[in-house]
Parts: sequence; C-alpha cells; structure tokens
Amino acid sequence: MSETPEKPFVPDKPTVSRRFWLALWLTCGASVLLEFFVHRHEHFTTSESAFASATNGFGFYVALGFVACSGAILLAKGLGWFLKKKEDFYDDTP
Amino acid sequence: MTLLSNIPPGLILILGAIVLLLLPATARKAGAIGLAALGFFATSQLDADEQLSISFLGYDLMLLWVDSTSKAFGYIFTLCAVAAFIFSWHEKRRAENTAALVYIGSALGVVFAGDMITWYVCWELMAIASTFLILARKTDKSLKAAQRYILVHLAGGLILLSGILLHIHFTDSIEFNALPKGEIGSWLILIGILINAAAVPFSSWLPDAYPESTVMGGVILSAYTTKTAVYTLIRGFPGWEILVAVGCVMAIYGIVYALLENDMRRILAYSIINQVGFMVCGVGIGTELAIAGVVAHAFCHIIYKALLWMSAGAVLFRTGKSKCTELGGLYKTMPLTMLLGTIGALAISGVPLTSGFVSKTLIVAAAEHQNYIWAWLVLEIASAGVFLHAGIKFPYFVFFNVDRGLRPKEAPKPMLIGMGLLVFLCIFLGCRPAPLYDILPFKDAIESTTFSAIYVDHFAHVVTMFQMLAFSALAFFVFLPWLKRTPTISIDFDWFYRKGAKLFYMAMDRSLNGLNRAADKYVIKTFLPALARFALQAPAALTAMALKPVWRAIDPDETRLAKRRDELLAQFTTGTFPIAYSAACILILLTLLILIGRATA
Repeated sequence: MSETPEKPFVPDKPTVSRRFWLALWLTCGASVLLEFFVHRHEHFTTSESAFASATNGFGFYVALGFVACSGAILLAKGLGWFLKKKEDFYDDTP
Repeated sequence: MTLLSNIPPGLILILGAIVLLLLPATARKAGAIGLAALGFFATSQLDADEQLSISFLGYDLMLLWVDSTSKAFGYIFTLCAVAAFIFSWHEKRRAENTAALVYIGSALGVVFAGDMITWYVCWELMAIASTFLILARKTDKSLKAAQRYILVHLAGGLILLSGILLHIHFTDSIEFNALPKGEIGSWLILIGILINAAAVPFSSWLPDAYPESTVMGGVILSAYTTKTAVYTLIRGFPGWEILVAVGCVMAIYGIVYALLENDMRRILAYSIINQVGFMVCGVGIGTELAIAGVVAHAFCHIIYKALLWMSAGAVLFRTGKSKCTELGGLYKTMPLTMLLGTIGALAISGVPLTSGFVSKTLIVAAAEHQNYIWAWLVLEIASAGVFLHAGIKFPYFVFFNVDRGLRPKEAPKPMLIGMGLLVFLCIFLGCRPAPLYDILPFKDAIESTTFSAIYVDHFAHVVTMFQMLAFSALAFFVFLPWLKRTPTISIDFDWFYRKGAKLFYMAMDRSLNGLNRAADKYVIKTFLPALARFALQAPAALTAMALKPVWRAIDPDETRLAKRRDELLAQFTTGTFPIAYSAACILILLTLLILIGRATA
C-alpha cells in the first residue's frame, strides 16, 4: 500500500502570507482612520508639560504601540549579545 | 449564621487533601475538583467582617478574617483551582494532587489570615507545598530548580519573619493591617513579600523554577504565590510610592526577558512578572480606584494566565517539548488548544471584549488620575509589550512559525474543558464585568461598569487600544527576523547565586583553604616541630654547658667528655635522670624560692 502524501495545510501557501500582510496593513490603516471619528478623552489636563499635551495628540497610541514594541525588540536584541548563553551554561553549577 | 459561614476555606482544602491521600485515583481526582468547588462555596458563604480566632501562647490568632479584598481573592483562588483540577484529570500521582491542594489551601490561609502569625505559618506552608509541584517532574533539572526555589523562599521567609518579630516587638500587636512607614520591621516585611512577588531583583526564582514543574504544577503555581504577595501588599503597604517604581521596573523587565526567552513556559513565567508589575504599581498608587483595579487585575490575570499555562501544558503533554526552537506548526493538529490559548493571549494583551481590557484599564486610569505621568507611560508601554511577547510571540512560535513535522493529537478532553471554562470567563468578564466589579473593594470608584458604558460611551478608548495593539503587531512582524529563536538561555539575577555560589566557593577555597594549607606547611609542619626540638634540646644544651667545667675538672679527656654530653642529651630526650640530678635541681629550686620569698617579704 503506498502512502498518500500529506495534504498541504492552507496557511503554508505563499499567497496566505501576502494576504496576511495586506490584512495587517489594512487593520493598522483602519485603526488610524477611526481616530478621525471619535472624540478622545484628554489626559493630564492639569499638567503643563509638553509631554502631557503630546499624549493627547493625534496618533499618540499609534506611535506608542510601534515605537514601544520596536524599542523593546531592539533592547532585547542588544541585551541578547551578552545575556544569551548556551543551554549548558549552568550545567556545572549546583 | 449559615452553613460554612465561619470555616476558613483554606482549612477545608488542607484537611481534604489529607483525606484524599487514602482514596483511589479516580475518587482522588474527582475529590480534588469537589474540594476546590466546596472552597468556592465556603468563600461565598463568608460574611464581611466574619472572624474566627483561637488563643495561642497568649495571642489571639485570627484564622478567619473577611473583607471584600480577601473574599475576592478567595473566589478566584478556588475558581482557578476547579479549572486546574479539571484540566489535570490525567494526573494520577497521589503526591501531586495533595501538594496542590495544600498549596492552594495555604494560599487561602494567607488571604483570610487576620494576624501576622497565622499569615506567616500559611506563607511558609505554601512555599513547602509548592516545592513538591516542581519536584514532581522528577528530572535532574527540576530537582535542582526545586532546591534553588525552596532556598530562595526560605531566605525570603526568614527576612519576613524577622520583620514580623520586630513589628510585634515594637507595637506589641500581631494584627495585620497597613504597616507604619519608616520602620525597619515594615521594610523587612516588604522585602519578604517582594521576594514572593518576584520583584526585581528578587525575580529570577520564578522563571527558574515554574517552567521546570509538571504540566499541572505550572498551571497551579502560576496563580498563587505571586498573587498572595500582591494581596499582602494591598493589606500592608497601600500607597507606598516606592512600589510604583518597583512595579514599573517589573513590567518592563518581564517584557524584555520574555522577548529573549526560547522556552514557551519561561516566556509565560516572565510574563507573570510583567503582569504582577502592573499590580505592584497599582498598590503603590494606592487610591481607591487603584486598589479596586489591582484586585480586578489579579482576578482576571489568574484566569488568563492559568489558561495560557494550560495551553502550554497541553502542548508539553502532547509533544514533550517546550522550546520554541523545537515547536511550531501545531495549529494543524491541535487547533482547539491553539484557539483557546490564543484567546488567553488576547485577554492578557487587554484586547477589547476580553477580561484584560476591563481590569488593566483601571490601574492605568488610576495612574493618570494621580498624575503619575511616567508611571502611566511605562504602564502603557508595558501594555503594548504584553501583546508583543505573550499576545503574539507565544502563540506564533508555538502554534505557527515553521512546521517542524510535529503531528501530536489534540489535547485530551478534560484539558479542553478546563481551558474552555477559563476562556468563557475571559470573554464573559470582558463583556460583562459587573459581577467582578461587584465583589471588589472600593467598587464605587469604578464609573463604567456596563457593556455600553465601556464599549459604546468610551468608544474612543477602544479605538486607541485597537491602534496600539495593531501597531504592536506590525512591529512584531516587521522585526520578526530579529526575533528568530535561538537555543539559548538568558542570564538573569539567578546568576548571582548559581554562578556566584560557585565563584564564592572557589574564592573561599582559594582564600580559606589556602590559609589552611599555609598554616599546615609553616605552622604545623615547620614551626611546631622546631619549637618542640627547641623545648627539648635547649635545656639539655644549657645544662651541658653548665656542667662542662665540672666534668672537665673531674676528667679532662675529650672523648669521655663528649660521651657524658651525649648521655645527658639522651637522658633529657627520654626524661630519665639519675635521682641525684633531680634532687640537686629540686634543692636549687627550693633555695631560689626561699631567697626570692625573703627578698620580697
């Protein structure tokens, strides 16, 4: 009896990857557009610092999401140079 | 008074655990679920301000002390236990079920403890019982991890105990309420609690030990130790500003280390530290809204974190693997586990319509109301970071990413039911948080409690959250090549006691043992024999020198003179003197004594 080749799973197809990126960009775009239609609650109204007023600026959360995550990834990547060790690093310790 | 209205729920679980030891496997497993459910019922029967005390060594120990905070923790501790025991239906080992029940029971004991002594005893019992959940994995790694775990907790326990003793000494009261600021006892208690809360730099025990536990152990451990620490912080340290900074550091530290990590359960372990950071920060803010937010967040966190540990546990159970470099593509054969785990991942990320959204928001809002701008910013950054490491990284690398040819079966039904129960709670509380808000302390501080108030009236908040999450996801996929997993571990604070212990041992070996060797060589082997020789030979040589003129007068022959000298030396060595010599010496000594006596009189 010959083995039937395993049926390829749909998400492995390269077209799905393209569609995924398209969907991701569309979602991001939609989230930015939505901000035009809502009235955002103002943060730190009693504070006079420039940063406090910046938190109320258009697209603050867009920048926050992207910059914070990129920053975290870069920080982790940088720290990884000297924090990452082989799995047997502690093998000779109690 | 109604049924079970003044019985400590923890006691039910601990006593039940002992009875369960005698039962066969199926009855034991069913019994564990039943006991957890009974604990939930007993918690629901407790009236606020209910107390139960016994007298011990002149102190009134309050085994039961109820307020809305302790009751809320009691509910979630028992609810999570029900789901965890259903999930762990596969677990047949007697010791594990018992250890889990004693652990949960003692956690409930801490939550309902009215005094510091009861609190401390339950706290230590928790540490001991939880160690067995790590040992139960029965691997060399888990054994060593369990040893480190219990050592850290015993050290923390001793610091806590010294703080408690100082506090009792100065106040003469064992009551457990908000502690006075600026006293050494309070600070020691705070350090003891922060060790259990896995606050930086006492954090590394958690990602060191939890991922080495069993499938069931991981689910159970994720919920109790850190959350009882949060509870005790609420009770003893509300409004201590240092906690705002501690919490912010924890939130960021958890994200960065979770991004570095390769083991899926270690990612989740770091994510616990990140989430507890939110809670610690909330306790530091200390306002009514903040405390309500902390309790709500602890409640929701226990649900989705247990759910995430369950999905990781199911993967470990089916594949025997937990490293991202060995996993991937599991959505193909474990779609339900993937779906349920992903909902947990969305809930921890605070996606609208999930429980994380309705609880995290309260703490962030409290930071904003108190004008903690930097803390607010860190919490917002941390919210985005949570989505990055727990919301996307965990499901992506485990269930998607590269197909490594793994074709495990779907998780067993009890596991799916356990996860399903928690998924229901994640979504139910996300859409209708009112039942949760109702059991919180300071519930009146929360303004929006209905679906329409949260999602319709505050639609702008939903939009900003949506923006933040969408762009976090974008950052993840843009930088995906940089996030490629490597089969590595990351150095954490445990380096100090793992490598550090070895270095300390080497330093001690070099210094103290070197001192030993030098003392042996120069003192024992050289100086002391020389001293002994001197002590033996010096009197002989002196005597010979004194006798030489006498001998020469008797017999001037040099050969016989030398012979007499040798005989004298031999007599000194063996201690055998002719009686005449001894008598002469005694006579001389006595004469000397009398002369000295007369001279001084």
